[in-house]
Amino acid sequence: MGTYLYAITAAGHPLRLKGLNGVGDPAAELRTVTTKDLCAVVSDAPPELRAKRRDVAAHQGVQERLLVDGAALPMRFGLVGTDDAQVAAVLEQDRDSYLQRLSEVDGCREYHLKVERDEDDLLREIMRESAEVRQLNDRTRQNPGAYDDKVALGELISREVQTRQERACADIVARLAPAAVRTADVEPTKQHFLNVSFLVEREKAAAFSEAVHEEAGQRGDTYTFSLHGPLPPYSFV
Amino acid sequence: MTAIQQSNAPTSGSGSGNLYDVLELILDRGLVIDAFVRVSLVGIEILKIDVRVVVASVDTYLRFAEACNRLDLESGRKAPSQLTDLVGEATESGAKGKSKGALTGAVEAFSESLQKGQEDSAEEEERPARKSSAASNRRTARRRED
Repeated sequence: MGTYLYAITAAGHPLRLKGLNGVGDPAAELRTVTTKDLCAVVSDAPPELRAKRRDVAAHQGVQERLLVDGAALPMRFGLVGTDDAQVAAVLEQDRDSYLQRLSEVDGCREYHLKVERDEDDLLREIMRESAEVRQLNDRTRQNPGAYDDKVALGELISREVQTRQERACADIVARLAPAAVRTADVEPTKQHFLNVSFLVEREKAAAFSEAVHEEAGQRGDTYTFSLHGPLPPYSFV
Repeated sequence: MTAIQQSNAPTSGSGSGNLYDVLELILDRGLVIDAFVRVSLVGIEILKIDVRVVVASVDTYLRFAEACNRLDLESGRKAPSQLTDLVGEATESGAKGKSKGALTGAVEAFSESLQKGQEDSAEEEERPARKSSAASNRRTARRRED
């Protein structure tokens, strides 16, 4: 059957798990595996567990409840050990590392920021600033069959896009990072040139949020900022 | 003023895109223990496409060239600012209810677009997983078209 692992906390955590459901259908009952210094929230692992809505929500629900009362290390969804004894063995074996990580995220929340920019706006900027792009653009407009010119134009733009996006990304992160404890880069997606998580102290959440708004305001309305949080510190454990 | 979408606002309803990101964190981040087994998340891995490879392709070059050709320099059109607001209080109580609401919303939105994209109706509870796979496939497809 196996043991499904939700989160790891320090042994002193109140672990108010009442009313929470575990993964699976019917929902597995939550229980804890404790060692001298650490505690793991676990349940039986349901057979054929998948990332169904109910299961992901149950996993997330445990994290949110634990966070209210103290630091917790959220596990990635879907981790299953052989049994409780293996969980206890892992807690013992990596005790120092887990205690260290718990102290790092104590009192902090994750905020995830994605930023996209209107593509036409970026292309216009590139056109304004690059004579070579303007030349190639004129040539390919007049001669739509000029395949090589088109590829050359596109390659030039592609390089410019990447350079400018990387610069904007670095600028934005540099301006927001002082309001956060740590940052964790995520690969940019095609839509969002910036995709970054920030670990923010709870007391500084309002200031961080304000910094994001200020940055968004300065960037203007061709940018879209999407801020998600407060979240369990998934990216910082 | 720039549009800011904050996912944990319960009424934001701003589509699956930003809500999906929360799901991505739960499935793709978090602590891992090597000795443990990870349940299979069919299709989820496809999300991790190397964007740089996609960007440096002839297809992308041609798309950029055509977008550039079409560009009307004079218009200087600004993107409509769809202000969906907003951060507001980043309080603990806000965190509890709201991010859960966002998560549910995400999966619901997924199911919706799954139904559009995929007619064979899977059993109710399978949708989130399948949806992820369908969504990422569509993303991939879009990228290839690009």
